[in-house]
Amino acid sequence: MIYEKHYVWSILLRLYHWAMAGSIVALSVTGFYIFSPWTLTNLEGTGLFPMMTMRYIHILAAYLFTGAIVARCFLFIFGNRQERVWDVLPISARNIKNLIDTLGAYMYLTDHHDEDRLGHNVLAGMTYVTTIFVGFIQIIAGFYLWLPESAFWQQFGNAIFGTQQYGRFIHHILMWYFILFAMVHIYLVIWNDLKNPDGLVSSIFTGNKFRHREVK
Amino acid sequence: MTDTPESKIPDPQLNRRSFLKGCTAVAAALGISEAMIPKLVEAATTAQRPPVVWLHFQECTGCTESLLRASHPDIARLILDVISLDYHETIMAPSGHQAEKSLHDTLDKYAGKFLCVVEGAIPTKDKGIYCKIAGRTAMDILAEVAPKAAAIIAIGSCAAYGGIQAASPNPTGAVGVQDLVSGTPVINIPGCPPNPISFMGTVLHYLTFKRLPVCDNLGRPLFAYGRRIHDHCERRAHFDEGRFAEQFGDYGHRNGYCLYKVGCKGPSTFSNCPSARFNDVDVWPVSVGHGCVGCTEPNFWDTMTPFYERLPNVNIPGIAGITNIDKAGKTILGVAAAAVGIHAAVGIGKKMVKGCGCKDDK
Ligand code: HEM
Ligand code: HEM
Ligand code: SF4
Repeated sequence: MIYEKHYVWSILLRLYHWAMAGSIVALSVTGFYIFSPWTLTNLEGTGLFPMMTMRYIHILAAYLFTGAIVARCFLFIFGNRQERVWDVLPISARNIKNLIDTLGAYMYLTDHHDEDRLGHNVLAGMTYVTTIFVGFIQIIAGFYLWLPESAFWQQFGNAIFGTQQYGRFIHHILMWYFILFAMVHIYLVIWNDLKNPDGLVSSIFTGNKFRHREVK
Repeated sequence: MTDTPESKIPDPQLNRRSFLKGCTAVAAALGISEAMIPKLVEAATTAQRPPVVWLHFQECTGCTESLLRASHPDIARLILDVISLDYHETIMAPSGHQAEKSLHDTLDKYAGKFLCVVEGAIPTKDKGIYCKIAGRTAMDILAEVAPKAAAIIAIGSCAAYGGIQAASPNPTGAVGVQDLVSGTPVINIPGCPPNPISFMGTVLHYLTFKRLPVCDNLGRPLFAYGRRIHDHCERRAHFDEGRFAEQFGDYGHRNGYCLYKVGCKGPSTFSNCPSARFNDVDVWPVSVGHGCVGCTEPNFWDTMTPFYERLPNVNIPGIAGITNIDKAGKTILGVAAAAVGIHAAVGIGKKMVKGCGCKDDK
């Protein structure tokens, strides 16, 4: 048996992935700090400006995050076959079958692995699309808090959240969505990597996945 | 004139000096150029004083109180001098039928010209029977007066957004003016109570420029509600430097540190409190050591509470007892982590029983 190498993830997708993963870690850490500053709160004369620094990092990471989400939306339409949105949503017979198979495999009911599918399984794909959507809400909430005087963000923010306080509240709750996603995501990626020989984890660094082929 | 004790008593009438002082204070609040002050004064003195009908519904009269007893005598007298209060239940001389007559006279005589000020929320449940004046519901009265007014000023958070009456579960179905009136321009001056200067600024703006000031998305004039409290707060340097009061009365509190961690809602609240301030002594809640409670924001009784926490509590159906947002998050994460652990254990167990099941087993 030999392995065939397939180029699956474009450079933009891989950049997007690590921009997103990195910015979410930074945003969550600084977000926790903004919510409840844990540094010594009665230190005078240090000139460290911890809250200002945390907010500064939060906003830097926020722009990276926003850029990543926009890049992903571009790829949903103009990316390669694996990256397009209709390849990962249960909108065709092939994809619905894959969704059912995936659920079965995750429940240890079948060992089926879709050999002709190079991209995400459909369950993963649906979760990723949801994550991008939640990312949009997070961005709207974030810019609504960041640019409170801007009529542009105010109209979205007030329509979706009502007030700044609820914008913060939702912003904070959605952070927990991302933390939850990150944990389950990393577990399932490793789980799939153990189960199947396509080299899933390295694919998000190199862009390549592997398929085996019987040697006649 | 001899210097008798009587002559030292301040003139109870508005003299020119305090009139000009009041106008200048309002101009400063409006953020208009010094060069405009004469125009403002001219409008306030020569324009025919616009008749004002002041309606009281579900309220505590706190807005009127803060306006009239304002220890800012210049502003209070300015208000009474600039507008002609034809109907105001708290301070008008007539009562009973005479009061009703004076209301109707104004409505007929000045239709389309008078200003209507509404104080208090309007109950709508059960056809509005929870607030009646002279046998008529607040809804009825508003429906009669509103279409005839040139503009409506909703003073206070109750008139603007329903206020405490509309707090969950809102037993009387209370709403603000803007939810019931269409066709007549409505401007909101929320606050509990609002600063008299914000009200006066709106009136003088209307008299001088013949139109209402520019508003934000929630109908509040930008000159008074255009910036967040947090962005003009005198404690902001402590916020950026990470110096917080952890508890009321602690070292940080005594040293004037930022009140963020004891629940200050300044970061979510739009108002001119830090710059306009209240009373003669120029104070506002944060300056005297209490966090902002966000009283100028819609539904602040529901969204800004608990007042001494940063964010609202969460309400997860089925799980009572966990109300703290991060506790809830950690619990859900813990449950998910346990599920991941079980999932992995099942996989390992299955592998031990049946072998790897991987494609490249051989
Ligand atoms: C996954 C993405 C993000 C996460 C997990 C996150 C997390 C958080 C958290 C937990 C807070 C504290 C909320 C509070 O307690 O009041 C916060 C505040 C904030 N976030 Fe984010 N955030 C994210 C994305 C963004 C984005 C895209 C922006 C856009 C500019 C943004 C801007 C802000 C601002 C302005 C604040 C308020 C800071 C302040 O109080 O001065 N965030 N964020
Ligand atoms: C060490 C950490 C991580 C590794 C090894 C990793 C690996 C991977 C791999 C292999 C894929 C492709 C999976 C598939 O085909 O279904 C993927 C996709 C993805 N990962 Fe990660 N990941 C990591 C961390 C994160 C984090 C922290 C986030 C964000 C919270 C994240 C968000 C995503 C998203 C959104 C996708 C979908 C890509 C797409 O839209 O096509 N990842 N990751
Ligand atoms: S006291 Fe309140 S408004 Fe002032 S800086 Fe602190 S959080 Fe902001």
